[in-house]
Amino acid sequence: MDFAFLGSTWLTLLSGLPLTLKLASGAVSCGFVLALAVAAMRVSGSRLLSGPAQAFVFAFRGTPLLVQVFLIYYGLGQFRPFLQEWGLWPFFRDAYWCALLALSLNTAAYSGEIIRGAIGSVPAGQIEAARACGMGRLTAARRIIGPIALRQALPAYSNEIISMVKATSLASIITLMEVTFIAQKLISQTFRAVEIFVCAGSIYLLVNVAITRAVWALEWWLSPHLRARPREPAALEAAHA
Amino acid sequence: MHAVELLGFGPAGWGAALLRAAATTVLVALLGFAAGAVFGGLAAWARIAGSAPLRWLADGYTTLLRGIPDLLVIYLFYFGGSAALTALAQAFGATGFVGVPALATGALALGLVSGAYQAEVYRGAYLAVHRGQMEAARAVGMSTPLMFRRVVAPLVLRYGVPGLGNVWQLVLKESALVSVTGLVEILRQSQIAAGSTREPFPFYLAAAALYLAVTTVSTYGFGRLELRTLRGVRRG
Amino acid sequence: MPEPVLSAGAIRKRFGHLEVLKGISLDAGAGEVISILGASGSGKSTFLRCLNLLEVPDDGRIALGGEAIAFKQGRRGPEPADRRQVQRLRQRIAMVFQSFNLWSHMTVLQNVIEAPVHVQKRPRAECVAEAEALLAKVGIADKRDHYPAHLSGGQQQRAAIARALAQKPEVMLFDEPTSALDPELVGEVLRVMRQLADEGRTMLVVTHEMGFARDVSSRVVFLDGGRVDCSGPPAEMFGAPPTERFGRFVQTHR
Ligand SMILES: Nc1ncnc2c1ncn2[C@@H]1O[C@H](COP(=O)(O)OP(=O)(O)OP(=O)(O)O)[C@@H](O)[C@H]1O
Ligand SMILES: [Mg+2]
Repeated sequence: MDFAFLGSTWLTLLSGLPLTLKLASGAVSCGFVLALAVAAMRVSGSRLLSGPAQAFVFAFRGTPLLVQVFLIYYGLGQFRPFLQEWGLWPFFRDAYWCALLALSLNTAAYSGEIIRGAIGSVPAGQIEAARACGMGRLTAARRIIGPIALRQALPAYSNEIISMVKATSLASIITLMEVTFIAQKLISQTFRAVEIFVCAGSIYLLVNVAITRAVWALEWWLSPHLRARPREPAALEAAHA
Repeated sequence: MHAVELLGFGPAGWGAALLRAAATTVLVALLGFAAGAVFGGLAAWARIAGSAPLRWLADGYTTLLRGIPDLLVIYLFYFGGSAALTALAQAFGATGFVGVPALATGALALGLVSGAYQAEVYRGAYLAVHRGQMEAARAVGMSTPLMFRRVVAPLVLRYGVPGLGNVWQLVLKESALVSVTGLVEILRQSQIAAGSTREPFPFYLAAAALYLAVTTVSTYGFGRLELRTLRGVRRG
Repeated sequence: MPEPVLSAGAIRKRFGHLEVLKGISLDAGAGEVISILGASGSGKSTFLRCLNLLEVPDDGRIALGGEAIAFKQGRRGPEPADRRQVQRLRQRIAMVFQSFNLWSHMTVLQNVIEAPVHVQKRPRAECVAEAEALLAKVGIADKRDHYPAHLSGGQQQRAAIARALAQKPEVMLFDEPTSALDPELVGEVLRVMRQLADEGRTMLVVTHEMGFARDVSSRVVFLDGGRVDCSGPPAEMFGAPPTERFGRFVQTHR
């Protein structure tokens, strides 16, 4: 095995990691905010709000992400005069912003459903108790439903974050020089597909393992109520005696 | 009006080509899903009943393939396959570059990826099959292979239908990535049409609509299947 | 006669085709402890939940301390005209649920101070001090930093009572507070409720505990088929059941 080649390849690929991370974190943050809106619309009880949200989710979950990327980057380019008139052209001309937009919308659709499911799983009795003591809708959402749903959504949401990290690789197709772009370029130059695949794959795996661990930690931190019962003071004293 | 002509079935229209491409999409997805059933079934079996090294291997496979971009896997097979074939051809005295058939590459890559997800589905479904039903099969004197064929496999498929539906949707959508190998499926055909007409928007929109149609029909189909297979099975 | 603290008049409620409440009227004076009895499905919970608008009645009047709740005609029947008013009134009516409904992500203390701090906007330090006193009163002072999942049913219900008390309510509603408890834990909750009754709190209690109804309450109301079948002081009611139905009910629930 050619360790020198592996090492240099790894370092070369690593130079694409900042862009990969920037895309993933940007998409996850923007997508989360959008997802909150989508979920809120879905559970609002108003057809006027939940209808459009449902259509959005249907369209973005039913089509490949790559088609969404192309539609935004190449497809909207067809309306350049119009976009220029509105001052949006600098945004839609830029592959980075288009990729970010497509990724954000895509994850918003999936995460919106995750959040909606989590809200639906909050026990009705606990929401009722909030209403019964005079809480308004916003307070109940912020103090009761939000925290319980967040804890509930975490495992599924961590999968979605990992999906997004993987999905950033599609940005390479519209010429963004992130890890997969560099890997593809190296492969077509050297034809050493296996080695380069191993290097690129290991980078993604490391990132995803780190994310999984971080979410586990967050989960643990957010769920003291599901952990073992705290030790009784009396038991502590007995232990000291 | 203009878009109707572009997407229509007239002499200047791309309608027929897009429909043919849609058939290719469904074909590559079906092949990928079938290959995935093999990989996934093997991996699930290894994780349930395999020896320690086999289990370890299967664990590695599912973790790896679910943590690495599918596009990378496709590149591996496309370029790696070509390199291997070229080397092989050169060993037999041929010169130049040998490409691998895009359909096979795509199906294999999709199979490997979806196998990792299918393995989870099969394993989960197997764990949901009640022990007692297997014991009952043993009690009437079934051999292990017979029990597997008559009792375990049908039950695992029943419990696995919803999960397999999700994996199928995933494969359908990931199949768009195979367009990078030049296979003329929906997305690649749309790219070609968009390039030659300089009208990307209607064609990518049409591509989206085609995928939406296929995924919607699949959702409906799996819904029906779920109803059928779940007869007599209480939902967990 | 002085103004009742809580007054409900001719409350009607239907679910689909099922008319659950067929015009129930009930006034609770200050310090009254009213036990609401009735067979399963007779509409006891529904009536109680109408009083704090967890269910919106189809018809009828509700007033707290003389302030009537305003209704308007919505698209799907009547609805409160002013959500703020409902929220304000709910702060003055506390409810204790059959299944406790403590907020699972908060400790006992956090549960108790939640409404005072975040709904009533009172100073936190003051609320914490009061909460500790309340927890001591219901006998679980040592459990203040436990999460609900780490408590027994009886402890959870006592925490829920402390949470209700922290609102400084004018009326307390109890919906079968002991029905979800193991028999040996019922006593500890009833003891706390008895103490509250002795303090002169106004309480409406849906219960299957005949002992409580007989010994603690000042009035017993028997619901049957969505109507008040009969009501009166427990001594009279249990001494000589005024209706045949109530007589049979007492027979089967001793
Ligand atoms: N949200 C609802 N939707 C439809 N029907 C309901 C609803 N809530 C209650 N009901 C019905 O109304 C009737 C009265 O219910 P309610 O819960 O008030 O009875 P209850 O007297 O409290 O009985 P229990 O002693 O069992 O608690 C029942 O037939 C019940 O099925
Ligand atoms: Mg009830």
